Amino acid sequence: MMNNIYRKFEKACIALFALGSTLAWAVNDLPGGPAVRQLNLHPPVTKIAEEQVWLHWFMLIICTVIFVAVFGVMFYSILKHRKSVGHKAATFHESLKVEIAWTVVPFVIVILMALPATKAVVASKDTSNADLTIKATGYQWKWGYDYIKGEGEGIGFVSTLDNAQREMSNSGKPEPTDDYLLKVDNPLVVPVDKKIRIITTSNDVIHSFAVNSFGIKQDAIPGFVRDTWFRAEKTGDFHGQCQELCGKEHAYMPIHVKVVSAEEYTAWVTEQNKKLAAKQEDPSKVWTMAELMQKGEKVYASNCQSCHQATGKGMGPIKALDGATVVLDADNLKQIKVLLNGQNNQTMPAWKQLSDSEIAAVISFTKNNWSNKTGQMVQPAEVLAARK
Amino acid sequence: MSAVLDPHGHGADHAHDDHHGAPHGWRRWVYATNHKDIGTLYLLFAFTMLIIGGVLALGIRAELFQPGLQLVNPELFNQLTTMHGLIMVFGAIMPAFVGFANWMIPLQIGAADMAFARMNNFSFWLMIPAALLLAGSFFMPGGAPSGGWTLYAPLSLQMGPSMDAAIFALHILGASSIMGSINIIVTILNMRAPGMTLMKMPMFVWTWLITAYLLIAVMPVLAGAITMTLTDRHFGTTFFNPAAGGDPVMFQHIFWFFGHPEVYIMILPAFGIVSHHSRFFPQKIIWLCLHGLRHVVHRDFVFHRMGSPHVHHWHAGHRSVVLYVRHHVDLYSYRCEGVQLDRHHVAWLHDL
Repeated sequence: MMNNIYRKFEKACIALFALGSTLAWAVNDLPGGPAVRQLNLHPPVTKIAEEQVWLHWFMLIICTVIFVAVFGVMFYSILKHRKSVGHKAATFHESLKVEIAWTVVPFVIVILMALPATKAVVASKDTSNADLTIKATGYQWKWGYDYIKGEGEGIGFVSTLDNAQREMSNSGKPEPTDDYLLKVDNPLVVPVDKKIRIITTSNDVIHSFAVNSFGIKQDAIPGFVRDTWFRAEKTGDFHGQCQELCGKEHAYMPIHVKVVSAEEYTAWVTEQNKKLAAKQEDPSKVWTMAELMQKGEKVYASNCQSCHQATGKGMGPIKALDGATVVLDADNLKQIKVLLNGQNNQTMPAWKQLSDSEIAAVISFTKNNWSNKTGQMVQPAEVLAARK
Repeated sequence: MSAVLDPHGHGADHAHDDHHGAPHGWRRWVYATNHKDIGTLYLLFAFTMLIIGGVLALGIRAELFQPGLQLVNPELFNQLTTMHGLIMVFGAIMPAFVGFANWMIPLQIGAADMAFARMNNFSFWLMIPAALLLAGSFFMPGGAPSGGWTLYAPLSLQMGPSMDAAIFALHILGASSIMGSINIIVTILNMRAPGMTLMKMPMFVWTWLITAYLLIAVMPVLAGAITMTLTDRHFGTTFFNPAAGGDPVMFQHIFWFFGHPEVYIMILPAFGIVSHHSRFFPQKIIWLCLHGLRHVVHRDFVFHRMGSPHVHHWHAGHRSVVLYVRHHVDLYSYRCEGVQLDRHHVAWLHDL
């Protein structure tokens, strides 16, 4: 019933807004993400989120009733008890009855609101007996996912905003797409109707892992571990974003959770394991320049470009790579150290989560791209040695 | 006032007033010790900062007007939100209420001036360099701080030199607030006119007494948090750096030990003003509400003008009814009289 009232209200509001709007965006609702002219919370997909929607309306209605009652009494007493309408001033000072009433009544209301709210909070904190445990690590500015317990154990990948969408944002004239700034290269895949425990932590600054449809939000804190959980009751794609300001690309680190059936999940795990096996690289393999450049360009685009720019010129406080002394230095180790440890108070973060070949490739790429023509190659073995 | 304070008993000798009277021109403001002059300075300062903070907010809204980046890049956007927060909280809202306090507290409790007139001057003029530091941080290398007005570590550790400027500015503003609070507390507790007991004190004075205590309790805590940030940034400490056993969440706990009372610091004096007005000028409240209603109605009207004509007609009917009611009630409210009304307000309680 509450939902019905809400929908009518929403329709009325939308009609009102539509009148003032002459712009017709060719954007549609994104299921599991934002809807066009959305006003309410996302449609819930977990029990906890359902509970939150209910609590939201419960509290809002109580507040509205109290507001109307209090202001009604106030304006009534102001208007009807004026000297000018002949009202005689009362001479009492205190009223014990009133004092008791306006202490007890709000107290009872607060308890009534606190009971269901506490129940929901306690339930949302109970991360025990999870079927699948996934670690979500916040990086500036991407999410790393590691499946650490349950089916798919050992799978790990990094999830980054689609580069084309980031470019669209920069251009100032993004093409209308439903999943604008929400599309990632590798979504987090989880099975439906299973209790998923998300452990959050961070590599640099505080991030926050949040998916609206699941009713979850948990800060990812460097050096600390926090957790939350969800049990999605529907398959589909669900979207969230980092919800704690984490630096300049904060708006560009979306979360995409793909909820699939148990069979599809098993198939996905098998496929991932195959890919993982294929990826197992021989650290002593010597790469050719062409291989390094090709791989380096990809690594650069998905990790470095948002700050250092495609031109390698940097931007604002971000240093240029094109013509930089460290990049041009004959000693490969200097640049390897910067990537492994970061520098300038982590304004340049550490990239040790990348594989040896990725670091080797991207360094070779920067040493031989733009006006940098050093001809130097960095081999994965050098990176491996520098890690120790 | 001069008649009261004149120790030589020649108050009638007006010919000499110019020699030891209040200074004129710029000296009146720079050397100000008169609580009204300082109050005016505070209000002008707060208004200036309100405009600056408001322009920053306009920058934010203008950028968000369309998807994609049109006007500012993401760094500058975060700088705008951060500086909007800091300037509005520390530069606009807090000084505005100190301005009202300077103006009204001595008048409302029957004091000649604030207790420490020269400290009052100092606590105002401290705000100017602090404001310059804050606003000027946009022109520093790397731009203004962009870690949010809550300055959470470890993001605040990544900021450029402007972060240090902001920390220094907040230290100065904190010192200024503490001096202002001491002044207000001493004035209220020691300088009330005979017969002005604490329980007879106007609501505004009471709310400021509480606010001043809150300020003295929590501003040093904020100073502690930002000092730790400063030493983390430059002197090798690791209070908030987990890599060396620090705890970034500790910053949040310390910050919000300040931040939550800060909410009351900003709203209590406003509550005091509203309570005072509803106690002494209820007719003005009604008048204000109805004029507020008129503005809303007017805006709706303009809005629907741009919309479809049939809605306009439907709405116009309602608008006339609302305005009709407003004029009627307005007439009543103009006729409301005097302070006795507050008794009438609560008279209905008696019926219980």
